[in-house]
Amino acid sequence: MSEQTTEEIEREEIEMLLPWYVTGKLDRTDAARVESYLARHPRLAAQLDLIRAERDETVLANEALGRPSATALDRLLAALPAAKPWLAQRIARSALFQRVSDFFAAPTARGVQWASLTAAALIVVQAAAITSLVVRDGGSTYETAAGQSVGGGQWTADGVSALVVFADDAKASAIAGLMTEFDASIVDGPKPGGVYKIRLRTADRSQSAQDALLRRLAERRDIVRTVLPSRN
Amino acid sequence: MTRAADEASLIGRIAAGDETALRALFARHQTRVFRFILRLVRNAAVAEELTNEVFLEVWRSAGSYAGASSAATWMLSIAHHRAVSSLRKRREETWDEDAAAELPDTGDNPEMVAQKADKGAILRRCINALSPEHKGIVDLVYYHEMSITEASEILKIPENTVKTRMFYARKRLSELLKEAGIDRGWP
Repeated sequence: MSEQTTEEIEREEIEMLLPWYVTGKLDRTDAARVESYLARHPRLAAQLDLIRAERDETVLANEALGRPSATALDRLLAALPAAKPWLAQRIARSALFQRVSDFFAAPTARGVQWASLTAAALIVVQAAAITSLVVRDGGSTYETAAGQSVGGGQWTADGVSALVVFADDAKASAIAGLMTEFDASIVDGPKPGGVYKIRLRTADRSQSAQDALLRRLAERRDIVRTVLPSRN
Repeated sequence: MTRAADEASLIGRIAAGDETALRALFARHQTRVFRFILRLVRNAAVAEELTNEVFLEVWRSAGSYAGASSAATWMLSIAHHRAVSSLRKRREETWDEDAAAELPDTGDNPEMVAQKADKGAILRRCINALSPEHKGIVDLVYYHEMSITEASEILKIPENTVKTRMFYARKRLSELLKEAGIDRGWP
């Protein structure tokens, strides 16, 4: 390889770095290399002026483009739930957790009312639970006066529904942890009696798996007081 | 907190579903992303739609952001991919440098029309007439002030290719300028 060729190669390598040298985006090693070369070849400095002109006009061309319309953000926000549906569910669930938390944390007049209703409704719920167990053994389901059917849990596309009543002293954080552990989400509630309808996600659609899942949930008595299968 | 750390924190909050954090990131980078895409696709409505797609992608995949690159680099990388995909779909939009050179120069206001022969305006028109590939690298380096490494991440090409692409973009620019009657003595 001739000396001149080596020189040409070096010059081209330096020329390739010049745009970043002008914008100050070269790392220290390359910047030093460029400066050393420019010190030895001052004529190349004329390139820097060309590059500065290119940069200035590029900035102008971009700045002339204006900005997106003011409605862009609204359209983006409207599209968020569809882009991350599981998150939308989680956010809704978080809101419900907050309501649960508020309910247990603040003994307001309304809370006292709810507590009274809870005590009264629990009897009904417990009765329904007992009845459902009895009736399920007979192979049918039981339906409350309000049309709430109780019996074998309903399989949805992504899991099974259940009605739960949380323990009086269960903390919201513990409830949230349990829901995460069971990959569950609250889909309704609180209903009178502090009843929540939840959906537990599971891939196993067998009846035995459903029963086992709900039994496992019911065993967490420190957090849930009642667990019932739900048909709808 | 540095800007990088602040933005990494924002993206972390977005991963957790914090819409306010997304609004903040959108406010900071929307215009930058929009302009980068618009320069490539040359259609404001399409650019705006693609810009929103970029932020939707951020919303969807914020959890996978490792923080190895800046938020701007990450978003421009998504933006570049979206813009190139859009250009490929719109085959009728294949770039014609001659036609592009005739596009109205949006940087000119009425007062500047009289200075059309101005060297800067001609340079600007020639930059605008570069192919999307060349204009993309020129914009990244000069306007978005990306380093070689960052441009490499955005364009998904090796660093040496970044350098040669910029080099040939500048060479092409010289050719266009020469055709417009300006010989700048390089290369």
